[in-house]
Amino acid sequence: MAADAAAPRGVTGRTGAAILGVLQVLGEAALLFVATLRAIRFAAPDRRRLVVQLVRLGNDTLGIAAILSLFVGMVLVVQAADQLREVSQSVLGPLVGLSMTKEMGPVMMGFLLSGRAGSAMAAELGSMAVYDEISALRTMDIDPVRFLVVPRFLAASLALPILVLYADFVGIAGGALIVGADPAVSISVEEYVTRMLEWVHLGDILVGLVKGVAFGMVASIVPCTFGLRTRGGAEGIATATTAAVVWSFVLILVLDFIIVRLSFGLA
Amino acid sequence: MSGVAVELAGVHKQYGGQLVLDGVDLTVPAGELLAVVGQSGQGKSVLLRQIVGLERVEAGTITVGGLPVQRYLAMPPEEKPFRIAMVFQNAALLASLTVGENVALRLEEHAVASRETIRATVARALEQVELAGSEDKMPGELSGGMRKRVAIARALAVDPELILYDEPTADLDPLLTEQIGALIARIRATRGSTQIVVTHNLALARAIADRIAVLASGRIVELLTPDALMASRHPLTREFLRASGMGM
Repeated sequence: MAADAAAPRGVTGRTGAAILGVLQVLGEAALLFVATLRAIRFAAPDRRRLVVQLVRLGNDTLGIAAILSLFVGMVLVVQAADQLREVSQSVLGPLVGLSMTKEMGPVMMGFLLSGRAGSAMAAELGSMAVYDEISALRTMDIDPVRFLVVPRFLAASLALPILVLYADFVGIAGGALIVGADPAVSISVEEYVTRMLEWVHLGDILVGLVKGVAFGMVASIVPCTFGLRTRGGAEGIATATTAAVVWSFVLILVLDFIIVRLSFGLA
Repeated sequence: MSGVAVELAGVHKQYGGQLVLDGVDLTVPAGELLAVVGQSGQGKSVLLRQIVGLERVEAGTITVGGLPVQRYLAMPPEEKPFRIAMVFQNAALLASLTVGENVALRLEEHAVASRETIRATVARALEQVELAGSEDKMPGELSGGMRKRVAIARALAVDPELILYDEPTADLDPLLTEQIGALIARIRATRGSTQIVVTHNLALARAIADRIAVLASGRIVELLTPDALMASRHPLTREFLRASGMGM
C-alpha cells in the first residue's frame, strides 16, 4: 500500500521519475569515478589484487575475444566483397583495417568486457553489499573504493586497450583468411595488406586505444556503481547485474560518439 | 586491555517514514557484556549499525569511550584511541580471501605490524576460537558455526575495546549456540572488552549477559539483570518471555 502511494502516477510522473533515476545513476557513477581517482592518487594500489583482476579481465577474455574478432573480420570481408564486386575490391584492406582499429575493435571489446567481466563485477560487489561484506570492510576502517573498485578500474583501463590491439590484429587476420580462401574475392592477400597499410595510420590506432581506455573505465565504474548500490538479496543482485550490463553498453556507445565527434573536430 | 563505555541518548531512526528507533536511551559501562533482546524487526541490528557508524544518526547522540561516534569515525585509523569490531549475522567473511587473510585483513591493510607479528596474531586469534591451523581454508569450506567463529577471530585480532555482535547464533543448532555463547563469555573473562550482543535468543542472553536490555516499539523498555528480567512485570517483556517459552 505504502509503495503504491509513493509510486509516481501518470505519464508525467513516471517520465519524471525515470529521468530522476537516470540522473541518480549518472551522479553516483560520476562520484565513484572521482572517488576512485582520489583513491589512486592518495594510495598505491595493491599489486596482488591488481594482478588478480588483470588476469580475470584480460587473460580470461582472450579466447572469446579472438573468436569474436576473427569472425567479425571475416564477415566484414564477405559482406564488403559482395557489395564491391562491381566496383573495386581493392579497398577491402583499408575498409577492414579502419573499421577494426577505429570502431569495431574498441566497441566489440568494450561490450565483451562489460558483458563478461562487468556483469561478474556487479554480481560480486552486489553479493558483497547484500551479505554485509562491504559493511564489514567499513567497520575495519577499510575504504571499499580503494580495496574493491581501484583494482578493477585500473585492470579494466589497462586491459581493454591491449584487448583492442589484439582484436584489431585478429580481425584483420580473419579478413585476410577470407581474402585468401574465398573465390568471390578477386584481390590477393598481399594487395589486401598493402592497401591497408597505406590507409591505416598510427592516429587511427591511437583513436582506438583512447577508446579502449575510456571504455575500460566505463566497463568498470558502471558495474561497480550498481554493485555497491545493490539491496534486497538475490533478486537485487540479479537486477543490479542486468542494469550494469545495459548501462555499460549504452554509455560505451554514447562515449564512442563523443570521442568520434571530438576526433573529427580535432582533425 | 579494558573496555570502553557506550552511551546512547534519544537515538531515533526511521526508514521510509516508519519509525524504527524512537528515542533509545542506553548506557553500557566499560567492560560490561550487555545483551539486547527483542522480537524480529524491532530495530536491534539497526541499533548496532548506528553505534558502529554504518548508518547515520538522525537524531540523538551516541558516544563511545567518551567520543561522539561521528568524531571517532572521522579520525584516521592510526589516531583512533580505541578499536571497535563487529561480528555480523552472516559472518560477512570475504569469500575471495582465505580464513587467515580474513582474520589478518584489518592489520595488513593498516600495516600496524610486521608480517611475522600479524601471522602470530592470526594464529592466536584462531586458537582462541578453537580453529587453530585453519588459516588456508576458504570461507566456503566452513560450516555456519565455523564461519561465525572466524568472524569472532577477525574481531579479536585487533584487540578491540568494544565488540558488537549481531545475532551471533542465528541459524545455528543448540550445540553450536552454546559453543558461541561460551566463547563470548570467555572473551569477557579474559579480555575485559565491552561487548554488546544483539539476539532474539533469550536463553543465550540469560546465560552470558551481565544485563539484558529489552527493545520493543523502538525503545529500551527494560534494562535488567538476567534474574530480574525473569521476574519482570512489564507487559512487553512478559510478552517476549512468553513468546520465547520462558514465561506464563
